[in-house]
Amino acid sequence: MDPMTFSIIRHRLFRIVDEAVITLKHVSGSAITNEGHDLMVSLYRADGTLLMGGVGFLHHLTSAAEACKSIIRRFEGDIHEGDIFLLNDPYTAALHTSDIYLVSPIHHEGRLVAWSACFVHVYDIGAVNPGGFAPQAPDIYTEGFSSPGIRLVAGGEMRQDVLDTILNMVRSPEMVTLDLRSMIACNNVARDRMQSLMTKYGAKEVDGACAELVNQSEDLFRARLRELPDGQWQSRQYLDVNGETARVNLTMTKKDDRLIFDFSGSDPQSPYSINCTKWASLGGLFAPLFPLLCYDITWNEGVLRPVEMIAPEGSIVNCTRPAPVSVATVGAIQSVNNAACSTIGKMLGASEKYRNQSTAVWHANHFAIFKFGRNQKGGDSIGILTETFAGAGGARSFADGVEIGGEIPNPISRMANVETVEAAFPVRYLFRRRAPDSGGPGEYRGGTGGELALVPHKAPDGGINYVISGKGSRHPMSEGLAGGYPGAPNSYVWVKAPEDGANTPVTAAGGLDAISGTQERVSWGVYPLMGRDALYVRWNGGGGHGDPIVRDPEAVRSDVAAGLVTLQSAGDIYGVALRDGAVDETETMAKRKSIRSARLQQEASE
Amino acid sequence: MSGQDRISASVAVKEGQAVCAACGHDLGPATKPWKDHAQRREIPLAQAGGQAYDTGHEGVLLRHFYCPGCAALLDTETAMAGDPALDDILAERG
Ligand SMILES: [Zn+2]
Repeated sequence: MDPMTFSIIRHRLFRIVDEAVITLKHVSGSAITNEGHDLMVSLYRADGTLLMGGVGFLHHLTSAAEACKSIIRRFEGDIHEGDIFLLNDPYTAALHTSDIYLVSPIHHEGRLVAWSACFVHVYDIGAVNPGGFAPQAPDIYTEGFSSPGIRLVAGGEMRQDVLDTILNMVRSPEMVTLDLRSMIACNNVARDRMQSLMTKYGAKEVDGACAELVNQSEDLFRARLRELPDGQWQSRQYLDVNGETARVNLTMTKKDDRLIFDFSGSDPQSPYSINCTKWASLGGLFAPLFPLLCYDITWNEGVLRPVEMIAPEGSIVNCTRPAPVSVATVGAIQSVNNAACSTIGKMLGASEKYRNQSTAVWHANHFAIFKFGRNQKGGDSIGILTETFAGAGGARSFADGVEIGGEIPNPISRMANVETVEAAFPVRYLFRRRAPDSGGPGEYRGGTGGELALVPHKAPDGGINYVISGKGSRHPMSEGLAGGYPGAPNSYVWVKAPEDGANTPVTAAGGLDAISGTQERVSWGVYPLMGRDALYVRWNGGGGHGDPIVRDPEAVRSDVAAGLVTLQSAGDIYGVALRDGAVDETETMAKRKSIRSARLQQEASE
Repeated sequence: MSGQDRISASVAVKEGQAVCAACGHDLGPATKPWKDHAQRREIPLAQAGGQAYDTGHEGVLLRHFYCPGCAALLDTETAMAGDPALDDILAERG
């Protein structure tokens, strides 16, 4: 194929995905989609293999491929132009029930030529807890409506009986309708644009370009792998949930042009809904792989070919039915993301050519907190605290991580404006800001996470309730690199107002400790936010890079001045002495020398 | 391994040996776990420095691996007591 046509078709495919994402956002009315960008759109070839991965949560790219393949198997001989299929069963392909896939066959001149697929986290899925994340679910049966594949649209016509059945099982059916319609619109746009591309260039020509694109990605990725050193890198994630701790162990081996992710030794599946299925784990490891190793390579089936995954059956990363999985995306899947990010970061750091691409783990710990209840307008609201998508950048080998800088598995994640949340829920923010000492210390510091506090405001029922799937308040999860510390763990605190009626001060100064009342840690289940009580949340920072005691003392001074690092940490961890807001060089040198000699006074390791 | 590779920003490779990038202290063959040759210290996370690490929970450790030659902090690990060290090794080029 001539390179000009190939290039034009490749770029058209990018633009088709972009336009479909815009459509999804225009039609959707939900904060998690529009503000948090908890979405994904991608194109697939006629056999369901990944053709063009789009932006959004990248752990969906391979799972949606499996969704397409699964629909092809289930509906063989009965797939028609204008059909749209729904699939959300985690044991078939989905990540959890509330991330619904709508997959749409694309026909040209009567022949099936491609697929488009997208997902959003729907407003509700009818699980035991509102919002889809179900910390109280003991099994998949209590995690809401779940389909291994059903035709929602037949030949361009909505199957009203199917839609009504789904809507009959969820809270806020009007919002779920909008979610589904946004995905239908998205798939319609992708299909129309693909059809016009084929009409213009010919179906055979376009398919030829697609095949070439997949081979190109494979060739480029294998070439990159050959440039990287052969070796073996390990990482480990601790997932603490409701008093228990589960491990995700990863050994990544790179040999020549192949990459093996081996999760052997990971803990058995949990009684809690943090588990994930094997398709979810596969998606989980590709989420950091695409942006870190293939930032200049088209994300498609070609990138999958050199990669192998080993995930023991019955483990937390390959659970068996009916284990609950509704918290998977912020549970085991995210730990797989983090573990892969860590080993890939180490491998890049070992390479002469790619060491500046190396990064410590970014925002490793989502917190799923869904507020629900009657709002100030008398209606019902359900919605996630989108600050979970705000993230924190991991430190690089040459620079600090970006403060509240997003996350690796979703290049477009972000949080909602405070005003958006206050308009939809009967709450008010006391503060929302960067959290001091949350970024992992290092020569280059991990980006800070944030902290926020909420109180009820003009709530007809005196407040609201929230579902919290808040793991990661014991163990740091954003690992550092080359001596950098991990980002600080999350913190979830229920501040109970004093009985004497003292008012909660509405001020950002002082943070958690300035809110009057008694503090109780919460992490898992359903809790009230009523009366004059407050909910405080701190989310993790990114991992640091390098030894903190070689950090430029001026950078530490500037961090302290900006409130990103406390005076105590400046002294204890960085060995920097500050006097009247300036670095005391003599004392800093003495402090650092004393830290060094204290280190060497320890017993040698066995 | 090629002559240009290293284990990490803090552990270099010289003639097949892992060495401290700061002082050149020998940490054994690059194809074997270099942490066996480092000085290891386990600190309860709550005492690692700063209030943010103090989660109020026992049993979570921050492991430090120091260069025995110059006391550079070569690597850290979050760990629970008894869990094995994470090993990062380069392979021989075949
Ligand atoms: Zn040294």
